[in-house]
Amino acid sequence: MSTPDKATVRYGPPKRGGAVLLLSALAVGMWALTPASVTAQALRGWVGTNVQAVQMRPLILDTIPASALELQPDGTYRYQGQAVSCVVAELCTVYGTADPTIAWAATEDVSFTAWGFGVQGLSFTTLLRGRSDMGSELIWPRTNDRFEALLAYAQLVRGPVRVRAGRQEIRGGLGFPAFDGASAVYTHRGLGIELYGGRSLARGLREPANTALQGLDPYLVDQSSYLYGGSVRGRVSAATFTARYQRELLADRSGLVSERGSFDFATPVPRGRLSGSLDYDFAMQKTGKGNLTLGVPFDEGHWLVELVGRRYRPYFDLSTIWGFFEPVSYSEGEVRTSWSPGGSFGAWVSGGYRSYGDTHTTVILRPLTGDGWRANGGVRWLPSGAWSVDGSYRLEWGPGGFMQSGDASVRYAPSDAWGVTASGQTFQQVEEFRVGDGRALGGGMSFDLGFGERARLTGGFLMLRHRDGGTRTLSPWNQTRGWTSLRINVGEDPGLANRRGS
Amino acid sequence: MNALAHKMRRVWRSFPYRIPAVMGLVVVLAGAGWTAATLKQQRPLAFPHQRHEGLFPVCTGCHEGIPNGDTASFFPSPEVCARCHDGSFMPQVSYTPPTLPPTNLRFDHNIHPAYLEMAGDSALECGACHVQPGGLHMEVLPAPRVQTCLSCHAHKASEHQVDADCSTCHVPLAQSGFSLSQIEAIQPPPDHAADDFLAGGHGVAAGQNSVRCATCHTQDRCVACHVDTDRKEIQAIPRAPEGMQLPAASAEYPTPATHADGGWLGKHGSQASRTACATCHTRNDCQACHLEPLPKPVKSMPTRDQVVAPGVEVTPRPPESHNSMFFMKNHSTLAASDAKSCATCHEESFCVSCHDGPSQGGYHPAGFVAKHAADAFGRQAECSNCHNTTVFCRACHMQSGLTAHGRLGGSYHDADPLWLLRHGQAARESLESCTSCHKQTDCTQCHGVLGAFKVNPHGPDFDAERAWRTNPRPCTFCHIKNPLDGGGQ
Repeated sequence: MSTPDKATVRYGPPKRGGAVLLLSALAVGMWALTPASVTAQALRGWVGTNVQAVQMRPLILDTIPASALELQPDGTYRYQGQAVSCVVAELCTVYGTADPTIAWAATEDVSFTAWGFGVQGLSFTTLLRGRSDMGSELIWPRTNDRFEALLAYAQLVRGPVRVRAGRQEIRGGLGFPAFDGASAVYTHRGLGIELYGGRSLARGLREPANTALQGLDPYLVDQSSYLYGGSVRGRVSAATFTARYQRELLADRSGLVSERGSFDFATPVPRGRLSGSLDYDFAMQKTGKGNLTLGVPFDEGHWLVELVGRRYRPYFDLSTIWGFFEPVSYSEGEVRTSWSPGGSFGAWVSGGYRSYGDTHTTVILRPLTGDGWRANGGVRWLPSGAWSVDGSYRLEWGPGGFMQSGDASVRYAPSDAWGVTASGQTFQQVEEFRVGDGRALGGGMSFDLGFGERARLTGGFLMLRHRDGGTRTLSPWNQTRGWTSLRINVGEDPGLANRRGS
Repeated sequence: MNALAHKMRRVWRSFPYRIPAVMGLVVVLAGAGWTAATLKQQRPLAFPHQRHEGLFPVCTGCHEGIPNGDTASFFPSPEVCARCHDGSFMPQVSYTPPTLPPTNLRFDHNIHPAYLEMAGDSALECGACHVQPGGLHMEVLPAPRVQTCLSCHAHKASEHQVDADCSTCHVPLAQSGFSLSQIEAIQPPPDHAADDFLAGGHGVAAGQNSVRCATCHTQDRCVACHVDTDRKEIQAIPRAPEGMQLPAASAEYPTPATHADGGWLGKHGSQASRTACATCHTRNDCQACHLEPLPKPVKSMPTRDQVVAPGVEVTPRPPESHNSMFFMKNHSTLAASDAKSCATCHEESFCVSCHDGPSQGGYHPAGFVAKHAADAFGRQAECSNCHNTTVFCRACHMQSGLTAHGRLGGSYHDADPLWLLRHGQAARESLESCTSCHKQTDCTQCHGVLGAFKVNPHGPDFDAERAWRTNPRPCTFCHIKNPLDGGGQ
C-alpha cells in the first residue's frame, strides 16, 4: 500500500493548530460587537467565520498479484472489474481507496471600510483572511497559508477621479488580476478611463508567483513580475462597453508573462438584450474566450429565451511551458429558456453542443470524442411564502467525463429570521474523476439563522454514499461534508447588509 | 249631551290603566314644557327686525361695518339698543351681538353692490339676498338666499364639489378657522375617488390649480407624504395657523406604474432626478443601495431628517438581472461590461470574498465540489480566475490520490490502460484539467529534448520565433540550446 505524498502539498510555515485563529476570531468578534453607534459613521464591514470539513477516502495505488488478473477480450487486464496498469505482466497496479480521513478548513474573514479621517473622500478598505487546517491529516487547499490580506488599499475620491493605492484587484474581462500598486479611474458622464499598475500577484493568490509557488513548481520563475494596464468603459445610450489592455512582464524585463486585451459589451436590441465578450492574447496572437448572448423575453417577461454562442480557449501564463502547448478551443452553441407564469412557479431548461478544434495529434487506437453535450433543467415551486421546492437535472457528456445528476431540495423559511433546507442528490460520473458505473446518492440538511439584522449563522451537512451497481468497485466514493458560517455585519453597510447568501 | 258625557265617563271608568295613563300624560306634557322653555332660554334671541321696521330705514344704520368689511361693527353694540331700551322709555332688553361662525366662504359685501347695480338692483339693496323676493324691507331671513349667489355665480355642474374655481366662494382652509369636526365633515370631491388620484391625478390637479386644493387642505397635508415640500404647488397652499387642529394624516405611497416594470431598477438611474424621485423618496432611500461616491441626483435629494414625511422605506433588492436563474453563471459578463453598475451596491470585498477559494461560498451551486469534474472539463468560465491551479486544484487532487505517480500506465485515465497513447488529444482539448494534477515536469519527461520520447508538443500554428521573443525562458525547460538556432529537436 502506498499513501498520498503529503509532503509535496504542504507549503508555507509549519502549522501550529487553531490557537492563532481562535484568538483572532475572539478579537474580531469583540470588535464586531462594539455598539453600532460607535462605529456607524466611521466604519462598516463584516466579520465572517467559516468552518468546513469533509470526510473522504483518498485513492491509493495498490499492487495486484499477477494470479488475480483477469484477461479481457481486448487483451487488457482487469482486477475485480477495475482497470489495471502493468509495466510487465508481473507488476500491475490498480487504484483502490485508503481509510476514511477528514480534512478541516477554518477561515476568519475581516472586511471593513473606514472613512472620516478629516480628508474628504479618503477611505481605507481591507479584507483580511486567516486560515487554519485545525490539525487535520488531510490538508484542505490553502489552509496552511495562515494569513492573507486579500485587499488592503487606501482610496481617495475627488469628484470624477478615484485613486487607490495598496493591494487591490481589477475585475474585468481578463479575470481578476491582483497586484500591489496603484490605480486611478476618471469618470465623466458615460465615459470611464482606468489606469493601473504594480507588482503582480499570482493568479488566485495574494503573493507573487515566485514565492507563492515555491516548492510546488520545479520550473518556477525566480523573480516577481509587474503588470500594468488600463481600460476604457463607456455608455452610449443604453449600451455599455469596456475595452481593456493589460501587460505583465518579469521584473528584469527579460520576458513577458502575458499581454492580453478584452472587449465586453451589452446593449439593448429590439425585443431583447445582446451582450458579449472576447479576449485576445497579443503576445501569441491568439483569440481566447468569447461569448455572445442574445436574450429575448416573451409574454411580458414571463418567458425568457437566450441564445448563447461561446468559444473557449484556455489561457496560460507565458512563464510556463503550457503557454506554448497550443491548446485548441471549443465552440459551443447553447439555448436556454426559462418560464415563470407567476410568482410561485418557474422552470428552466437549457441545452448546448460544443465542438473542439482539430488537435493535430496522432492518436493510436480509439480516439477521444471531439465534441460534447450539456443539458440542464429544473423547476422551482413556491407553494406558500414559507415553503420552496426545487428540483433539477443536469447532464454533461464530452471528452474527459460523463456526468448526470439530479438534485432536489425543500426549504422552509417562515421569516427572514430563520430557514431550514433538506436536500437530496444523486449523480453518476464515469471516466475521469469517476465513481464508476455506479452512482452516488446523498442527502443533507442546512439551516440559516439570523440574530437581528447584523448576524447570521448558517450551516449544514451532506452525506454521499456510493452504490457501485454490482461492479465490485474498489474505490467507494463515500463522502460526508459539513460546514458552518457566522457572519456579523458591522456599522452601516448598505451594500451588503443581509444580502449575502441570498 | 249629558248622555254622551255619561257614556264617556262609563268608558273611562271601565279602562283598567286609567291611572298610569294619566300619570304618563302628565309626565309627557311636563317634559315637553320644560324642553320648550330650555330651548327658548338657550337659543340666542334673534333680533326682531320686523318690529323695528319703522325705526331703521337703512340696514347700515346698525350694520355699519358691513359695507367696508369691518367685522367688529358688523352688528350693533348693546349700547345702541339701550338708547331706546333704557328702562323708562322702553323696557330694558338683553342683547349680545352674535359671533360670526367659522366659515370658509369668501364673500365681500364691498364689491357686491356694484354687481347688484349692474344687475338692476339698488347698490344698497341688502334685501336682494337677505329678504325673500317680495318680502318687507325688514323681513330678514336667518341666512342669505343662495339662489341670489347662483344667479351670477352659476356652477359648472350640478354637483357642488367639481373642478370649479373654489376660491370664488371659499377661502383657504388655513384661513377658515374651522374646527376639527368641521374639517372632518368636509366631503371629498368626486375626482378624489379616481383610482389614479393619489398616484398621479392629484399632482396634476395641484399643478393646474393648487388654490382649489387649499380650499379643503392645508400645506400640512402635503408635507405629511411629500418629501419635496419646496415644490411650488405645495408652497402655494397655506400652512395651518398655530393651534388649528387637523385630522391625522398618514403617508401613503402608491407604487407608480413605471416601478412595476421588471427592468425598472436597471433603468431608474437614467431617469432619476430630484423632481422625479423626491416626491416619495429621501436620500436615505437611495443610500439603501447606493454607495459612495453618490450620484448627483442622489446628492440633490433631501435627507429624511430634513423633512416631515417619512418617505418610502426602500428595501434593497437585487436588480432584475440577478433574478435570472443563470445569473451566477453569467454575472461575469455583466460585471465586465458594466463594473460600475456592480459598484453601485457592492463593495469590492463582496466579489473577492467568493472569488478567492473556500470561504463564503455562493458562487458555485450547492454540492458543486462533489460534481465539479465534468464542469472542469467542459468549463464555461475560467477556474483559474479565482483558483490557482497549482496551489488549489493540485494540492487537493494529490491528497485525494489523483496525482501522477511517475508511471506510464493509465489505469486511472478513462480506465484505459493505453491512455498514454491517447492523451495528446485530451491535453489539447482540456489542458487546464491536466494541470490540475500534473506538474510541468510530468510533461517534459517525455516532451523535452532530454525526455524519453522527445515528442513535439507544439501545435501546427505554433510561432516559435514569437514565443522566443516573448519569453525565451520556458523554451529552456525543454530545449538545451536556442531551438531557433538549430538547438531544438
